[in-house]
Order: sequence, then C-alpha cells, then structure tokens
Amino acid sequence: MSDDHGDHAGDSERYPTLGEAGRRMLDFMRSHPAAPLFRNASGNRLLAAEVDQLRQFEREIGAAPVGWAPGQPPDWLAAHVARTFADVPHYRQLGSPPLRFEDIAPVSRADFAADIAPFVPDQVPLERLINFRTTGTTGHPLLIASHPVVAARYLAFHKRALRRFGVELTHGAGQVGVVLLGFQRACFTYVSVTPAMGESGLAKINLHPNDWRDPADRARYLDALAPEVVAGDPISFTELLTLPLRMRPRALISVSMLLLPGLRAQLEQRFGCPVLDIYSLNEVGPVGVFDDAARGHVLLQPGLYVEILDSRGQPVAAGVRGEITVTGGFNFCLPLLRYRTGDYASLAAMADGPLLLGLSGRSPVRYRLDNGEWINNIDITHALKSLPLAHFGFHQAADGALTLRLAPAALYLADQARILLASLFGAQLVGVAVLAAEDKVLQYTSDRDGALA
Amino acid sequence: MIHPGPVLETLTHRLAETPSEFLAEPRIGNSGAVVVAALVNDVLLMHGARAPAADLARFEESDPKLGRNRLALVMIASWLLADPWLIGAAIAQPALLEVLDVDLRELAAGAPAHQFVRDPDRREELARIVLARLGLRPQGETVEQATDRLSSISGSERRRLLKESRAANERARKVREALARKAAEESADKWTRE
Repeated sequence: MSDDHGDHAGDSERYPTLGEAGRRMLDFMRSHPAAPLFRNASGNRLLAAEVDQLRQFEREIGAAPVGWAPGQPPDWLAAHVARTFADVPHYRQLGSPPLRFEDIAPVSRADFAADIAPFVPDQVPLERLINFRTTGTTGHPLLIASHPVVAARYLAFHKRALRRFGVELTHGAGQVGVVLLGFQRACFTYVSVTPAMGESGLAKINLHPNDWRDPADRARYLDALAPEVVAGDPISFTELLTLPLRMRPRALISVSMLLLPGLRAQLEQRFGCPVLDIYSLNEVGPVGVFDDAARGHVLLQPGLYVEILDSRGQPVAAGVRGEITVTGGFNFCLPLLRYRTGDYASLAAMADGPLLLGLSGRSPVRYRLDNGEWINNIDITHALKSLPLAHFGFHQAADGALTLRLAPAALYLADQARILLASLFGAQLVGVAVLAAEDKVLQYTSDRDGALA
Repeated sequence: MIHPGPVLETLTHRLAETPSEFLAEPRIGNSGAVVVAALVNDVLLMHGARAPAADLARFEESDPKLGRNRLALVMIASWLLADPWLIGAAIAQPALLEVLDVDLRELAAGAPAHQFVRDPDRREELARIVLARLGLRPQGETVEQATDRLSSISGSERRRLLKESRAANERARKVREALARKAAEESADKWTRE
C-alpha cells in the first residue's frame, strides 16, 4: 500500500541513481500483500559521485583510530576551531577564537533550538539541505540542518560498530539491508534503497496496529523482507518480541533510549544475534556503542572529540561524571564546537580508544532517602537492569513519595521491581502506576528540592 | 588631528607585539580571566586619570555574543594606550574613555578583535583611529594626509562590513527557507533514527 498516488511521483529526486535492482526492490516492499500503510515518502537523494565518495568514507572510518585520549586533544582540533570561527556566523560574532580551547563558550540544545541558521557554515550549498527534527522531552524542539550525504554517512559508523561484534554486512541487490522499527501512534514511514549496498532495501515501518490492514501482517511482512539488520528502540523491540517471527537478522541496533541488559539478553536469545546499544543523537550522529567487556560505550567517530564538563562548563577530572560535550563530527552543515549534549557520563581511556562510562540521558536526578541521604538515578538503572523493561518512569513527589511507572504490558514485573528497589530504598514504599504514553518519556523526575544536583 | 603625535610604526609595531595576557579571555559572567574594567582603570591611572565606578561599568558585559569581542578589543587598545609616548602625553580621562568605549564598539562590530593584532591593515586602522580620537596625527604626516589615510583605510573597511552584514542576514534567511522546503522536511535515509 502507498499513499504516493500510485505513480510514485518524485522518485527521481528521492532516488537519483535508481537502477533496475532498486526499482524492483521498491516495488517489492511497497506492493507486498502484507505491506503496511506507508504514510510518507523519502529517499537516499544521493548523486552518483556521492555514492563513490561514501564508499571511500566508509573505508576511512573503518580504519581510522580515535586519535586522542581524555585530556589530550586531537591534532585536528586547532584547525577545526579556526575554521569554525571563520566560517560559522554564530562563532564569527564572538570575535577571535580564544587562545585556550577550554575558554570557548559551550553551546547547548537551547542555542540550536532558538535558531539553527547561524550555526550553518557560509559555504554549505542550500539547494540540497535537509532537516531532522527532534521533539524531545526537554522543552526544546530541535531542527537540525543536514544533507543526504551526512545521513548516508551513518552507515559507516554502524559498520564500524558491527565489526566490533564480528558482523560484516553482506546484503546487496535483491535483499533488504535494514528495517527501521517504530512503535508509536504517529510515525514517519517509507521505503528506500541504499545505493552503496547494491540498492538493498530500507523500510521504515511502524509496528503500531493502526498502520496495518491486519496486525498479523506485521510478522508476515518482516519475514518476507528478511532484513540483514533491524534498527529500533527498546519500545519497538519489546513489541517485536510479541510477534511470531521466523526472520533471522544478523544484528539488532538499538538507539535513542536506555537499553536495559535484561531486554538486551531477551532479544539476543530470541533472534540469535548481537544487539548493539548505540548512543546516537540527531545533532551528533552515532557517538558510541556499548561494549560488555569494556562495560561502557566505545566511541565510534574518529573526528569527534569528547569532553566531560561540570555544571559551570569546566572540564572535570578523569573518571568524574559530568555532561558529555562534543566537538567536530561528520555533519558539514553543523560543525560542532563544545556542544553540550544534555547526556551524562564519565570518560575513561582504553587500549583502543576512549570510553564513556555510566551513560545516562539528561540531567542526573537525585532521590532522597528517609535517612536523609541522596542516591543517584543511575543507581535505579542498576537496580532494575535485570528486568526486561522497555521503558519506565521513576518519580519522587515533593513530600518524598516514590512512584515507579510501568507500561501496561510490564506491570507483571512490578513486584520484582519493588524487591530490587528495596535494596536502595529499604522499607520506603514505592508505589506503582501505569505509564500511559506509548511515546518516549522522561525517565527520571523529581519535585523535591535539591533533586537536580 | 591637530597635534603631532608619535611615529605610526611604533604603535603598529606595539600592536603586533601585544603580550598574550592582553589576548586572554575577558571576564563575562563566570568565565574568562581578565576583568576588563580593572584593566581600563589601570590604564587611566597610568595617564594620571581616574574614573567613577559607573563609567568603568561600561566595560562589563553579561552576554558573550554581544560583548566578548568588544571587551577583547578594549584589552588590546588598553595595551596600545599604555605606549610610553602616549603616557608621556598624559591624555585626559574623557578622551580615553571615549576611545575605549564609543569608538571600539563600532570597530568590534566589524572584525574579530585579534585581527587588530595580526592583520597589518587592521593594526594601522586601530592606531589611526585612536590617534584621531585623541586629537593627534602620526608624526611626519600633515592633517590632510592623516585624514585621507584614515578615511581610506577605515572607509573601505566600513563598506565591506556593511555588505557582509547584509549578506549574513540574507544568508540566515535563505538557510531557514531551505530547511522549511518540502524536500528538506522529507529528509533522507539514515540506517537508524534517533
């Protein structure tokens, strides 16, 4: 099914290099009897020369080391700062680059949200600019300037991450490379092909029953596509576990949200393949992949320098938690200079590069115990890590009352969760409530004074 | 420009040799090392002048976007005004404050402050503007020569800046329009979506 009026107007713009294999693949994905309602249209938008450049980029990214260590900035940093202060209106307005890198004023999501235009370099051609939107839960909807080449570059970092887990992608013409899953009431859905992978198929689908003529079609369609990779988030993967599937993807890639080890183990067991937990942001792209042996997120971008800053914008000592702040990146429409991500971790050095430890989204929240002590939200994540939870909320009211919010399908885990939380809160009562929203939620909240450390 | 002043090259050379302390970060809010109002006070004292706190408050800023470059330029000009010839001339307080506040605001709006140290034309421009505001002309130049040279180096720069500023506004508008097009909204393939 397609809402593209049957004639697929605009295919030449969306797939400029489309060949016979690609055309057949699009037809197959659109016309399959179990296909969902595709609500949108998009494509790779890549020109032939760009496809060659992308192959080269993938080779470079596959081979390049992350050439810096915590506290020892990379060689390319000074040139990047000089270029950004010369070419990017926001920085030009600040005057000359500071003599010390640490004196560059960090920017945050709020700066990008106010107006992204001053962050786009002068020389970026505007004809093929695209955007990525993030609604987010922090009150700052974001519109990120990007380009088809930037979007396509994601694959180079996914391949780098997959290689760490022993997976080399092989799919090509006549096969589906990736299915991107959503499970939301409203979701952007479409089909495309990946030119650098022999025009293998790409389908972005919504597992919500509203998008299907028959909910049973979801399993039929996924089995028919038999993708090499399935990408999604803990919510869509939890729904995926409910389907009677025969497909055997070679890897699952989870982005956007915290993936608890309990759910990851279930997915690995069910699909018999590695499940990659990738820390990725619209503003930055894929930053790191979780590595069990290293117990942290291994960085993926050789051209991204990461600092950890305290609340005053000062770098913290090695091993101390703070806000992940990034410089560089691969989006030439949005070169980053000390961009505060709003996510928190500490940084450690490893033999094959730096590592993010204890990654958690958004500002840390503290919870007050009856004895007057405070515990960090990361302790709650640790306490609940063995449960196969897709998402949850944890809230402390101003009077100290604690509430764990679980999705209806996860309420059966409430008693186990209470037992695990008792290791932190002792006899303090933890109420359980239903998490109604199907969309992403802010995980940790509190109305108590002093909760935002 | 009535009175003969120092040799221009001594001032441009002094600018080229600006010590790194004068190129450090001006204090804005909690960041930056140099309290520029205190630096201005020091320069005034070197000229035997004083200023009330209210006047010195003109050299404090709260928003880096609006004030960082200006304060950085005030630091460089403070170094320039500590030139021995100028100190010997004991410049009056109102003229010193005028040049450090009013004239530098306009200059700072147009170019990164450190260019007035690194670029020969900008060094000459800053030296000539400071001299002109203090009623001085470079030694060996007539009033006409000094006026012509200042207007030439400064005027062409002003025209370039005006053009750049219009172009920047136009560019920002075009970026916003480009991002709002239907094709931009449709976006393009990524193998994962955040």
